[in-house]
Formats: sequence, structure tokens, C-alpha cells
Amino acid sequence: MTDRLPAPVKGADGAAFVAERASATPSAAVRRFAVVSSPVETPLPVSHSLEGMEAWLVRAITGPESEASRAPSYLTDGPRMNARERLEVYRSGYRARLVECLEDDYRAFSAVVGHEAFHALAEGYIEKFPSSSPSLNYFGRRFPEYVRGVEVPGFPGKGAFFSELAALEWAIVEVIHAETPPPLDGNALRSLKPEDFATAHFEPSEAVRLLRFEHPVNPFFQARWANGDESATVPGIAPSSTAVYRHGMTVWRMDLTPAMTRVLSALLDRVPIAEALGRLGVDETDPSAIAEAERSVMVWFREWVSSGFFARLVT
Amino acid sequence: MNRFSLPNLGIGIGLRTTHYAHVLEQTPEIDWFEILSDNYLHTRGRPLHYLDRVAERYPIVMHGVSLSIGSTDPLDLGYLAELKALRDRTNARWVSDHLCFTGATGKNTHDLLPLPYTEETLRHVVSRVKTVQDFLEAPLALENPSSYLEFRESRLTEWEFIARLAEEADCALLLDVNNVYVSSRNHGFDPARYLDAIPWDRVVQFHVAGHTDFGTHVVDTHIGPVVDPVWRLLGDAHRRAGGASVLLEWDAEIPSFEETHREALRAREFVREEAA
Repeated sequence: MTDRLPAPVKGADGAAFVAERASATPSAAVRRFAVVSSPVETPLPVSHSLEGMEAWLVRAITGPESEASRAPSYLTDGPRMNARERLEVYRSGYRARLVECLEDDYRAFSAVVGHEAFHALAEGYIEKFPSSSPSLNYFGRRFPEYVRGVEVPGFPGKGAFFSELAALEWAIVEVIHAETPPPLDGNALRSLKPEDFATAHFEPSEAVRLLRFEHPVNPFFQARWANGDESATVPGIAPSSTAVYRHGMTVWRMDLTPAMTRVLSALLDRVPIAEALGRLGVDETDPSAIAEAERSVMVWFREWVSSGFFARLVT
Repeated sequence: MNRFSLPNLGIGIGLRTTHYAHVLEQTPEIDWFEILSDNYLHTRGRPLHYLDRVAERYPIVMHGVSLSIGSTDPLDLGYLAELKALRDRTNARWVSDHLCFTGATGKNTHDLLPLPYTEETLRHVVSRVKTVQDFLEAPLALENPSSYLEFRESRLTEWEFIARLAEEADCALLLDVNNVYVSSRNHGFDPARYLDAIPWDRVVQFHVAGHTDFGTHVVDTHIGPVVDPVWRLLGDAHRRAGGASVLLEWDAEIPSFEETHREALRAREFVREEAA
């Protein structure tokens, strides 16, 4: 057992908020807009109601070419582009905007797999989970789940790792948007009597996530993305745990040992403090081990409290 | 002065994340900021922290892209509630969005899609604008969108539609003169005809921005300096309205705060020139 906490790391955490997510302008891909040719009209009934026209335009933008090819039935030609070409401005913009949004949230992932592979994955995701919310802030929330079920181009058999990498990046997005509590009242903590430990528990901060991985995801993220070490390769199986949290305006990532993970997990699950500390897994017949564990856990405890892991103490 | 007695705030720029540090540390002299409302909704964290600090120092106006006022999907009351809460939090002087729809049948494209300009659409949008204004307990300012397509079914021009909408819904207008210019190029109309139709006592704000000309079409990219024809449209519109708040949008390849602000202040040349 060690009382030393791995030093938390920060950096590479601002991507989700550097780019303007909502925008009144078409995305970058529209600027690279390529005009399509040979529009083919499918002879299907044309709706003249507002509801029907809106439904068609959304299908034509988000759906297959068979819908887009009906553009001449619904749209006029312009001075220099025909109806199908005019539709393409929106059709290409739709995908580009959402891909850019995912790329903002998953910058490390995108950098590791490469631009083209990421775009292929993103397009599949957009198809499977189209946006239904007015906000783009959480559009990418199911990307980790999506990645676990598909082949990542260029990395056969590594879907589980990339799903975990995505989960780490998504946790960063979540804590950026989470509310941080005011500092925990130190007096309340100090005035806690030993007998209170059996019932008192913590209310966790919204801005903390505890992630358990099958791979050493955070060390890889730190090396490859935050430190720019191109030699860092996709790791094999080796379980790890990382706490992602925001303290003030800074997002931190702290790797945890298995013992730390057990205790912190229990505390974040609102388990009474005594019971949570009991999950250290110390040999209770060994007084020196118990003493060392008590020392360690108090060091961790102070660090977690001062890092804002807990919003309040409930007695 | 507009009929809603909303103040002329002067010349502002869109608040962008890349300028946060400069704005908060240097507190530059600028009349006001417009925020993209949607960047501060569905969050309780860092974006609001910065916005609160800016709102303590500067007048704020809220500009949205997700109201989807023209959609036949039900109005999103949760979105409206968040909008209202943000307005109250920032003491925003008014709230605006676009004359468009962003999605239908439950799917959101996150783009400003043009509407078919028909009598049916007009009745639908008038009704929705009234509902939104009742909810917000304040006038809603609607912006003319830039567009790249037109429906065969349209029976009204965009300017006819906007003029009738504004009167029948009793709403305010945000006139984007760059959008007038962009759409005039894409659809082949005379921008002066557009301006002739505008009910000027309803115009509470102007937008100017850069655009990109691709030859086959012009895209409202909000990149780069504003071209002179757009500045001249602003001058003309500003004179017709008897003055209103002016806002420069620069949303991609964003330069330093100083350069962005310098470009916004160019409005003074054209506004004064036209007013003289």
C-alpha cells in the first residue's frame, strides 16, 4: 500500500470548448463544396404542405441519394446552380458540421486513428444516432458505445481500447459542462465524530467521473496527445482507473491504484464513510498494515476533498 | 428609434471563446457583445463561468440558432425555458433567432433551412412567434437567413414574407445585410428591392459579416473583412431605420480581438457617411 497519490495531470482538455459549437454559418466542408452532376428525378408524389416539404428537405439532407435526387420536384434552379446542386450545399454541410463536432470532442481519438478513418467512423455514428436535440453539446455522448461495436479502420481488434479512449475524452467534455460545487466546509469535516463515520456520507461533485478501463488509457492519452509522443503505441490489456475532474476552470486526470479505486468508488456512490474505508482490503490481523492503510487513506481523502470531489457531507 | 423602445447599443462584436482571455483581462472598450445563446445552454460549467464575467462588464444580446421557429415539429418548451433563464441570468437586452427551420420529424440538421414562403407557412410562423413572445414576455427579433435554395411552392418573396410576418406577429427584426447580399447573389434579386419592403420601425439590430464567393454560389462564412457593397447596404439600411445596434460576426479563422473590433468599427465610416 502507498499513501502517495499519482500526480494528477492536466492539459489537452479544452478542445470541447475551443471551437464555437453552435454557429449560424455552414461548416468548413461547405466551403470545399463539390458540385454534383447528373441529377436523377424519381417520379414520386410531391407534397405541397409545409409539413410535407419540411419532412422531405430533412430527408433529402440527412438521407440517401434517392431522396436528394427528387430536388427538382421541390426546388427551383438558381442563376448558376440547378436544384440538386443547391441542395448539396446543405447536404454536405449537415455531415460536415456533425463530423466537426465529433472531432472537437474526440481530438485524441481522431489524431490516433487518422483523419480519414475518423471521418468514416463519424459518418457511421451520424447515420446511427442522428441528432434530435437543439444542442450539439451532447451529440457525441454515445460515440464510445458506438465504437465498441464497430471495427476501427487500421486497428483490427482494438475496438475495446478505442471505446475506452473515447470514454476518457467524453468524461472530459462532461466535466467541462458540469457545475462545480463550492469548497467543502472544512469545519463540518473536522467536527465529525468517530461514531458519525458509520452513517455519514459524501454527496459527490457533478464534475467528477471515475472511469475503470481494461487498458492503460490515461497514460496513453497523456503520452500521445498531451505530450505529443508519436512513439506511444496502442497498449494491450492492463486494467487501470482514472478520475477525471474539474477544479476551478482546469480539468485534471488522476490515475488511481486498485485500492484507491475501491475507496473512491464507494465514496462517490454515497456509501457511509466507515464502510467505504473498509473496502481498502487490508489484512485486519496485521496491525502494521492497518496503520499504514489508515495513513494512506487519510492522504488520499484530503487530496480528494481539496480537489473538489465532494459537494457536501451528509450526516 | 424602433417601436419596441429597445436601445441602440452602438457597435458590438460576437463574443467568441478565442477572445475570452483578452476581454476579461484587458476589458477593452467596446459597446456590447452578442452571444450565440446555444453555446451557453445545456451546460452548467465553464462556458457559463466566462459568460457571467463578461456579462458583469458589458451589455449582452442573445442570438440563437436552434429555435426552429418555422418547423412543424412542436415548439421545444424546454429550450424556451432555458433561453429565458439565460436571458435573465445575463440581463440580455433582447433575444433573436433566425427565420428558418432547423429540423423536422424529430431530426435536427443544426442548419438554418429556408422555408417555403407560402400563406400556410406565414400563418404557422406568425402563430409560433406569438407563442414564443408570450413565453419570453418580450419581443423576439427574427433575422433574415442567407439561403442557397428556394422552394417551387413559394408564392411570396422573402422580403414580402418578412414584412407581413413582422406586422402580423408584432415581432422585431434583426436585419443581416450580409445575408441580404448573399441571398441576392444566390437567387438573383436586387438587394434594394429587399430593403424597400422592410418595416424599419421594427428593426432593432443589424448584422454585418464577411462571406466567400465560390463563383457558382456565395456562402455566408463569416470569414474575413466585410466587403464594401455590404457596408454600403448597412449604411442605406441604417439610414432608413434611423439608427440601430450594429454587430460584426466573425466566426471562422477568427483574428485577434483588436483586428475583429477594428473591422467592426469600420461601420462608423458607412453609417456616418450615409447619415450625413
